Amino acid sequence: MLIKVSSASNSGLQTIAIDVEINVAGKGLPAFEIIGLPNKAVDESRDRVKTAIINSHIQFPSRRITINLAPADIPKEGSFYDLPIAVGILASVVGYQLPEESLFFGELSLDGTLRHTRGALLLSLFAKEKGIKNIFVPKASANEAAIVKGVNVYPIESLNQLSSYFSGEIDLQPAKYIEAKDDWMNAQAEFDMAEILGQEQAKRAAEISASGGHNLFLVGTPGSGKTMLARALAGILPSLSEKESLEVTKIYSASGRIPPEGSLVKTRPFRAPHHTISRVGLIGGSTKPQPGEVSLSHRGILFLDEFSEFPRSVLEALRQPLEDGSLTISRSRERVTYPSRFVLIASANPCPCGYLHHPKKPCLCTSREVEKYRKRVSGPILDRIDLHIDVPVVDIKELAKDRRLKDELEPSAIIRGRVIRARETQKNRFFDDGIHTNAEMKNKHIKKHCPLSKEVRHLLQQAGMNFQLSARSYYKMIKVARTIADLDDSRDITVSHMAEALQYRPRVQERE
Amino acid sequence: MKTSNGVKTKNLETGYMGEAIAKKYLEDNGYRVVELNYRTKYAEIDLIAYDKDVLVFIEVRTKIGEQFGTPEETINKNKISRLIRNAEAYIAIKNCQKECRIDAFCVVLDKNRKVERRNHYKNITL
Repeated sequence: MLIKVSSASNSGLQTIAIDVEINVAGKGLPAFEIIGLPNKAVDESRDRVKTAIINSHIQFPSRRITINLAPADIPKEGSFYDLPIAVGILASVVGYQLPEESLFFGELSLDGTLRHTRGALLLSLFAKEKGIKNIFVPKASANEAAIVKGVNVYPIESLNQLSSYFSGEIDLQPAKYIEAKDDWMNAQAEFDMAEILGQEQAKRAAEISASGGHNLFLVGTPGSGKTMLARALAGILPSLSEKESLEVTKIYSASGRIPPEGSLVKTRPFRAPHHTISRVGLIGGSTKPQPGEVSLSHRGILFLDEFSEFPRSVLEALRQPLEDGSLTISRSRERVTYPSRFVLIASANPCPCGYLHHPKKPCLCTSREVEKYRKRVSGPILDRIDLHIDVPVVDIKELAKDRRLKDELEPSAIIRGRVIRARETQKNRFFDDGIHTNAEMKNKHIKKHCPLSKEVRHLLQQAGMNFQLSARSYYKMIKVARTIADLDDSRDITVSHMAEALQYRPRVQERE
Repeated sequence: MKTSNGVKTKNLETGYMGEAIAKKYLEDNGYRVVELNYRTKYAEIDLIAYDKDVLVFIEVRTKIGEQFGTPEETINKNKISRLIRNAEAYIAIKNCQKECRIDAFCVVLDKNRKVERRNHYKNITL
């Protein structure tokens, strides 16, 4: 008896339909075979399915069972074929009428229960796109799939439950549609801005960075608070919008990072990989391309502490994602595109010993060493960072005054309020441009939204010539000035906005 | 094979004893034995019987004492694939259109050739 069960397989963020054909032959030696280019995980599904069916107290047919995963020329991987295979076998043995227009998806446990399976959200989105009414997923993954409206998501606990549903003994209710309500959470930051003493200029830069989505490069002596500042930055970011949240959740679902029972990702990602990270770890890759840190920090922050300690080949790979906001990983078998619109926060010391330009401590490095250290981060990378800022040494006297000062310092919540207002302005401005922040502006957007007065243009030209700004930096200055103007609630970019923006220009090309 | 003729004959005898025990046991349990030591091109099938409508190929393993391993241990992956190949050859020769399966029958004898235990394992290939 031949049974067809529909499922779908994810490759990156794309989903393709897979037909699972199950034939139980009436003659020949008993066997259980899976064909259609299964990999190890799919091949092992035989033993899971068999044991799960036996442990669900259902007679496993001692017949020749052939499973075909069509289209047969696409390599199959993953554990989610367990459920469609088991359903097909049950249907042919017990003779259930399977519901039409349904997708089955899930990994079986040996006791016949279903386990949380990665990629349920992508399946749900696929069902909606193709107009498929029902999807059957493990109960632990149902919350994730139920954020798509218009698809009946049936949460399945075990094979027994599903079998009684098919035979009409029990009724199953689809999981409730989970609406993206306004209960967005702000990212939990380790530090509050009010805990950081001094560093007013750095805090201002952090605020601009958070408002306009600008990349930020912090240079300073050891212990000056670079890391603390970067971590506090997570706390002043606005919460995710519904659309952004879906984008982030898709990436996390595809890579299996949503916990069981988990649903939409509601906080902006903050990723801080160690500098020993490999290129594949940062960018993504492997034969079945997986998202790297740049994609996992999509719509959030990628914090690279000790920027100049990262291997050069790893850093150079950042160029394209920084510029395009997405990247395509090409391998011989597959091409996968992942979004990677993140805000890069990098921090580094000014020289190997760390005390260059320190007011008290002498720097022990030779000028050649300093030169070499600086060259570890290439010009093209620095050119792509909008805000460059020196984090000065904190005066010990200031720290001693701690108690009194603390009440006067602005807490993160107030700064976030300003950031949210600036983002609101940007949202209205880019209503029909398809972008979210000032940093994402392309040249045509800059022409449209950032008209410069004669004085501002003159200032920028002067600065461009004096500081040898690249064409890219030139435009970046306008973008930063736009964000500063937004924070100021100003429609036009004034000379003072531009003058402030120019303080954050890249300084590496300038020789001392 | 380096074993002396005497030892080999002894093993063969043990084997035949086991097959006889298996045959008797199966017939007592309603099986209809159709072939004993059927030779195909590749090897030999110990027993072929009908369990109602299902054609059953039975591999009999016999051991005297278990101190050098159990009979079950001697049926490894390699042996099973050989059993499948033999059974398929038989099915092809006889053009059999029935449901089939492969069983194992393990017999352990004591020093006096008395049955210590016998076990019937149904459907070992699935």
